[in-house]
Amino acid sequence: MFVHLQGPYSFLFGRLTLASIPYDNAIIQFAFGFAAIAAILVVAPVLYYRKIPYLFREWLTTVDHKKIGVMYIILGLVMMFRGFFDGLMIRTQQVMADGPHSAGHLEAAHGYLPPAHFDQIYSSHGTIMIIFAATPILTGLGNIIVPLQIGARDMAFPTLNAISLWLTTVGAALVMASLFIGDFSTAGWVGLIPLTELDFSPSSGVDYWMWAIQISSVGTTLNAINVIATIVAMRAPGMRWTRLPIFTWTTLSTSIIGLTAFPILGVALALLGADRYLGTHFYTAGLGGNLMLYTNLFWIWGHPEVYFLVLPAFGIISEVIPAFSEKPLFGYVTMVAATFAIAGISWVVWLHHFFTMGAGPLVNSFFSVATMVVGIPTGVKVFNWLFTLYRGRLTFATPMLWAVGALFLLLIGGLTGMMLAIPAVNYTVHNSVFVIAHFHCMVLLIVYAAFAAVSFWWPKVFGFKLDETTGKLFFWSFSIGTILLFTAMFGLGFMGETRRLDYLYNTQWFPALVIEEIGVGFYSLSVLIFFAMLFVSIRDRVKNAASADPWGTSRTLEWLTHSPVPFYNFAVTPHVNSRDELSWRYLNNLAATAPEHFEEIHMPNNTPVPLIIGALAFGFGFGLTWRIWWMTGFSLLGIIAVVIYRSFARDKGYHLSAEVMTQLEREPPLGVIAESQYLSKHPLTGAGAH
Amino acid sequence: MPWIPGMKLRTLLLTAVVPLLSGCSTASFRLFHPAGVVSSIEWHYTLIDVGVMSLLIVPVTIMIAVFVWRYRKSRNARYDPTWSHSLGLELAMWGIPFLTVIFLGYESYRSTLLVNPYGPAALNYADAANPPLQVDVVTTDWQWVFIYPQYGIATVDDLVVPAGRPVKLWLTSTSVTNDFFIPGVAPMIDVMPGMRTMDGFQVNVPGSFEGFSADFSGAGFSWMQFSTRIVAKPDFDKWVAATQASSNQLSYAAFTKLAEPTVNVGAKPAYFSQVPSGLFMDVYNAARAGTVYAIPEQLKISTSSVDYTQGRDGTN
Repeated sequence: MFVHLQGPYSFLFGRLTLASIPYDNAIIQFAFGFAAIAAILVVAPVLYYRKIPYLFREWLTTVDHKKIGVMYIILGLVMMFRGFFDGLMIRTQQVMADGPHSAGHLEAAHGYLPPAHFDQIYSSHGTIMIIFAATPILTGLGNIIVPLQIGARDMAFPTLNAISLWLTTVGAALVMASLFIGDFSTAGWVGLIPLTELDFSPSSGVDYWMWAIQISSVGTTLNAINVIATIVAMRAPGMRWTRLPIFTWTTLSTSIIGLTAFPILGVALALLGADRYLGTHFYTAGLGGNLMLYTNLFWIWGHPEVYFLVLPAFGIISEVIPAFSEKPLFGYVTMVAATFAIAGISWVVWLHHFFTMGAGPLVNSFFSVATMVVGIPTGVKVFNWLFTLYRGRLTFATPMLWAVGALFLLLIGGLTGMMLAIPAVNYTVHNSVFVIAHFHCMVLLIVYAAFAAVSFWWPKVFGFKLDETTGKLFFWSFSIGTILLFTAMFGLGFMGETRRLDYLYNTQWFPALVIEEIGVGFYSLSVLIFFAMLFVSIRDRVKNAASADPWGTSRTLEWLTHSPVPFYNFAVTPHVNSRDELSWRYLNNLAATAPEHFEEIHMPNNTPVPLIIGALAFGFGFGLTWRIWWMTGFSLLGIIAVVIYRSFARDKGYHLSAEVMTQLEREPPLGVIAESQYLSKHPLTGAGAH
Repeated sequence: MPWIPGMKLRTLLLTAVVPLLSGCSTASFRLFHPAGVVSSIEWHYTLIDVGVMSLLIVPVTIMIAVFVWRYRKSRNARYDPTWSHSLGLELAMWGIPFLTVIFLGYESYRSTLLVNPYGPAALNYADAANPPLQVDVVTTDWQWVFIYPQYGIATVDDLVVPAGRPVKLWLTSTSVTNDFFIPGVAPMIDVMPGMRTMDGFQVNVPGSFEGFSADFSGAGFSWMQFSTRIVAKPDFDKWVAATQASSNQLSYAAFTKLAEPTVNVGAKPAYFSQVPSGLFMDVYNAARAGTVYAIPEQLKISTSSVDYTQGRDGTN
């Protein structure tokens, strides 16, 4: 049944042997040392302060949407750090390996990375940044903010929410495991076909890549279901569709994309899995296979995925700019229409990723025009933000800097995107670093929006503001890096530098490569400033303690409850009167009104089930990667058993009585997202317990 | 915009954009200096696109910068906290990009026909006095084989074609997907195993250019360049005759040896005579029947088996 593979095989360890571990590679040794030190720095304090029970009780088993969101974002930031390191290594290799006389170090003839190692690094850079950095950060933000913006107690399915988190984490863990056990795919983050077939990639690398994405995308799909159900069914009274905040609208549109697009990726990878494990010929060049089938399927997911990421980023910009312009968003209806127009058109543009495939001129023209049509609603959004600034009263706190920076990236990305949309132009720059520079403008727009969101909503989540001085320094250092790196890269595209070169044969490119390296230097500097910002902010947390509305000019519902948000979000579900609810309450002098009386509320119980499912999913993915069948089977059966068990468990959550609520609101607990830990110190008795 | 006659607009845009993009010393920006007929059209439409888009992007960029400066809180400029809707403005916001896309969409359609790799309208394949030169292109891991079926010759990593004559390419691969690209000369096209694609180009003056694979194809990808020489017609005939006299012969059996994974450092050319005219179809059919040239593991993991020291001189 299974494809026979050459090389050693054992029942217990599958294809895994001691030789699979690259312990003799100097770069891997360094990476391992670095990861080990980082792990010790995290684990040691937890052990020293005996925080394991706390960690397990309050975080690892939590179903609180805010804590899940925070963990999503931590995962995303950790993976972004790894992805940054990959990017640093790519740039350094290229600047060192330019021209036939460039020196070789370690095992490489030029630069310091041999081709196979370099190819793994750019493949993991793309996979990580798109799927394990940008996606978790935006999913996490949606998780935290959407229920607060619509006045909900939690997500519609809190346990499912935690399962989504742990499945995404498993995907990231598999990518990290590939660093030290075996190798990673060398076929790019898109999985260039037929390079990913067994004939060309017989090692475990492609399997790691495939199962990491496959497992995490199950998590993303489940999360999309959860978000849609939450927004449709759990809005507070008065929160009509016409009053929904823009970030919630964009998260809804993005979740519809996620729900419909990720299953296609699942199918595309499952067929590749069939080729690699069962010896079928879906995508092989010969024996009836069709390799363009993969490319089409991948991009039918891949292009909507771009909008899956960029729409919430647009939502964030649409929240931040009005707050710091002290004005409502210009053209709310237009903005919502544009959001759904983008989401809809995102389905019919995928072929522009391979105009060079050789489709006829009419097919190429159709996808060219469809791609340009996306530019219309995107342009509308830019105008909306522009006229929101007009006659505003602008303050440039860190979130506003990131949001305005994102606008410039969008303009450059849009200009170059309209160039790539024309097949005649595309034939000259496709697969060149011009394309890389273009989509990095778009992806960095998402990163800018994400940093805007992190600094904007940080006080809401943690109860204190991030330090503004280091925050602004971080922004400027990051932006100088962006300008240097990607201006040079656009130039290199016109010089004809193609992407994914581990050795560069043209010495005329050297000056531009040096500018790119300086840009990366600024990125490295900003990573250090980022850590400094976290340190300073946490040190000064008492001084920078935040009120319910720490910016003073916020507009939407989430700023109505305490900072940090109590575990039950709103003591009494608010009644919504206006599109910008908090601004409306300010105008009508209602912002400070405490509820007249409290009512009993219902909360879900924490559960270890999602964590267990995650652990088993890791065993499933790892077992499949190394073809350890007993581990795969045991994990799969385990997941099914746990799900069945959970389905029959009579866990109906617990209630907090009106008296407990009065007590809780009188002395709001301080600390990280004002946790239910309070309850463990003041155990519920009598009517409160359930 | 679209209502201005096309040619006038184009002249206007070209005079505006060219000085911006082609300042001093742009020789290394290969795309700025197209040599081929098709490439010139591609560059022409690049300028049209950038020009038209700049009419939108530049004013918006300036407006953002101005608004950001002018409406800072500290400047106490006019503040209007309720203004958030204007029907006229919103219609313009949709209308102007809409008209732009109609115009660019039309230009995109026209240019796609002009440069269509399967028969560029810009080239005349039907002229009996100057018929297109047929070249079959096969990529291996990681070399280029150019077959001239008409003349029974083939080369490795050296494409020689006459000036002033359209060149019609059929392309396929023995192993994985590559992209055929000669900046400034020929548009990019995928080269796929078990599939045939086409491309076409024409250069009217002799010159030397560099071609390469633009789609990652494995460990030897970075060394996958080929030289492109556009020569005068008499020189081409002489070159064909000389190559036909080569003692290297390329049967299908010999081809399967040539197609073994090889990193051709420095893109050293080779020349073959007595090439069967059906070689291209034999390669294509073999791939469809499942022929695969496996890559030795040491080529991917270690570089010690390849002498990388004599790389090509990077200055073109």
